[in-house]
Amino acid sequence: MAATEPVRPKAARSQGWTAGGPVSGRDTNLIRIGIVLGAAILWEGVSRSGWLFQDVVPSLLAIGAAIGKMLVNPAFYANLQVTAGEVFASLAIGGALGIFTGIALGSNRFLGAAFEPYVYYLAPTPRIIFFPVMIMWFGVGAASKIALGALSCFFTVALSTAGGMRGIDTVLIRVGKSFRATPWQMGMKIYLPAMRVPVLNGIRLGFGTAMVTALLAETKLSNQGLGYMIMQIYSRFDMPSLYALLIIVFIIAGAGNLILGRVTGTNA
Amino acid sequence: MNNAAANAAGDKAVPVMPAPAAEAQLVIDRVSKRFGEGPGAVVAVDDMSFDVMPGEFVACIGPSGCGKSTLFNIIGGLQEEYVGNVMIDKSRIAGPHAAVGMVFQEESTFPWRNVLDNVAFPLELQNVGQSERRDRAQKFISLVGLQGFEKRMPSELSGGMRQRVSIARTLVSGPRILLMDEPFAALDEQTRLLLGDKITQIQQELHQTTLLITHNLTEAVQLSDRIVVMTYRPGRVKRIVNIDLPRPRTSDVVSSPAFGKYVAEIWGDLREEATRGMEEAEAGAAARGKTARG
Ligand SMILES: Nc1ncnc2c1ncn2[C@@H]1O[C@H](COP(=O)(O)OP(=O)(O)OP(=O)(O)O)[C@@H](O)[C@H]1O
Ligand SMILES: [Mg+2]
Repeated sequence: MAATEPVRPKAARSQGWTAGGPVSGRDTNLIRIGIVLGAAILWEGVSRSGWLFQDVVPSLLAIGAAIGKMLVNPAFYANLQVTAGEVFASLAIGGALGIFTGIALGSNRFLGAAFEPYVYYLAPTPRIIFFPVMIMWFGVGAASKIALGALSCFFTVALSTAGGMRGIDTVLIRVGKSFRATPWQMGMKIYLPAMRVPVLNGIRLGFGTAMVTALLAETKLSNQGLGYMIMQIYSRFDMPSLYALLIIVFIIAGAGNLILGRVTGTNA
Repeated sequence: MNNAAANAAGDKAVPVMPAPAAEAQLVIDRVSKRFGEGPGAVVAVDDMSFDVMPGEFVACIGPSGCGKSTLFNIIGGLQEEYVGNVMIDKSRIAGPHAAVGMVFQEESTFPWRNVLDNVAFPLELQNVGQSERRDRAQKFISLVGLQGFEKRMPSELSGGMRQRVSIARTLVSGPRILLMDEPFAALDEQTRLLLGDKITQIQQELHQTTLLITHNLTEAVQLSDRIVVMTYRPGRVKRIVNIDLPRPRTSDVVSSPAFGKYVAEIWGDLREEATRGMEEAEAGAAARGKTARG
């Protein structure tokens, strides 16, 4: 049947509920591989040219060897475990508090008007300035990093949840009411699914900030974790190992993000 | 049952004359609704009264902004604060009624559910078992002509198809009274006529009482037994017109001379109101411009 395609009113309608695939995957993959190859060639060129110290820009072969060594180093796995534990604990604590706060702010106009400005002003402040306080409260171990990570992902998740709550198409709520849905049914069958995409995006961003914060805190003051390991290697001025570790962290962060995206169905 | 037949005077407009209240399925009795207080207040609906008989198809027509959706929300129980009485089964409406199904003016499919799950939504709320849910939803998906699209997401459908999903979703809950607020407003004329045929056909099958809110004259005459013409702000009943065209009707009826006569007659009334609406809107804009400049 012929019919016009009126533009759907809310931005929410275009977020992720399509069953169709993304823009042609093959072309974007080619571009991505091209970028990585180009960067590698450039790097190796600079390394061999001798323009910079060989120590600062080691050859890819040296970095490759260092990656291999890193992957059989038990200390690496011990530190990885510490950092991963910190990140997930931060995400669990900060995310849960964030969703709770976001729902409260988003559903109650009074609460939202009263408290949201604070959340907005506090959200962009660099969390690392709270680190000394956290150390005093929780010590130099994992607990202070978890607290700091939870604090940073709390803001991200709270703001995106509050936004998601307010972004719900009001007609969908009226549909639920017209079918005489109970409050429980409204929550489970309308609010929750309608907010799924913004909340999950918030959790995904929260994962990123929790990871950044935990690593950053580890480089400042700690005795374990990947951030600590990076600083140790740096103090030995072992550049190939430093780059090796950075690349591994990159890959882990990327993979974590990708897995979260897969699980939540919010991959771009 | 056929109210039009009872009124042998035929194509003449009849004055506002409440039908015997005992038989009516839906009674709108001196209903008013004002938004806001003081000088800025808007009287959206003003002292409206009319009845809808069981199985009757009534259209409520008026220019944009005259209070149609406000009336729709009051009857549907979504606007609980109002003056006067909307009565169904002898009780006053003050919340969504089980006998009433609503189809909204806006796009209202759930974008995260496929067609089948959208249509089965009301059954899910009633805890109907999964296989029965599927069977019943399937029946209404076929009725609105969407068989084969069960697994599609709303974003993959055209606007007309999405609107049919909304209609099927409301019908599956088995309403005795169907309220529709400009369900075809966003559609082109051809789609609108064909969907009108679907609605007629569905009503012949299910015999539900229907109140259609619209600003489209052709649609109102094509589908209705009676038309309630509303005035522009405040929304009042200007008059009620019986449409005495033979049933069963199809969209072919739009080319008949009798159809043209009804359209011309109602347009005379409607034009006055629409013109007044536009003039008031322009005057309002001019006044605002003046105060802004001054
Ligand atoms: N919640 C509200 N608060 C204040 N004013 C309102 C509210 N809802 C509607 N109005 C006003 O009441 C009047 C009637 O609105 P309504 O939505 O019922 O019109 P309508 O006939 O459905 O128009 P349309 O054909 O454009 O949908 C309008 O002037 C509108 O501004
Ligand atoms: Mg309206």
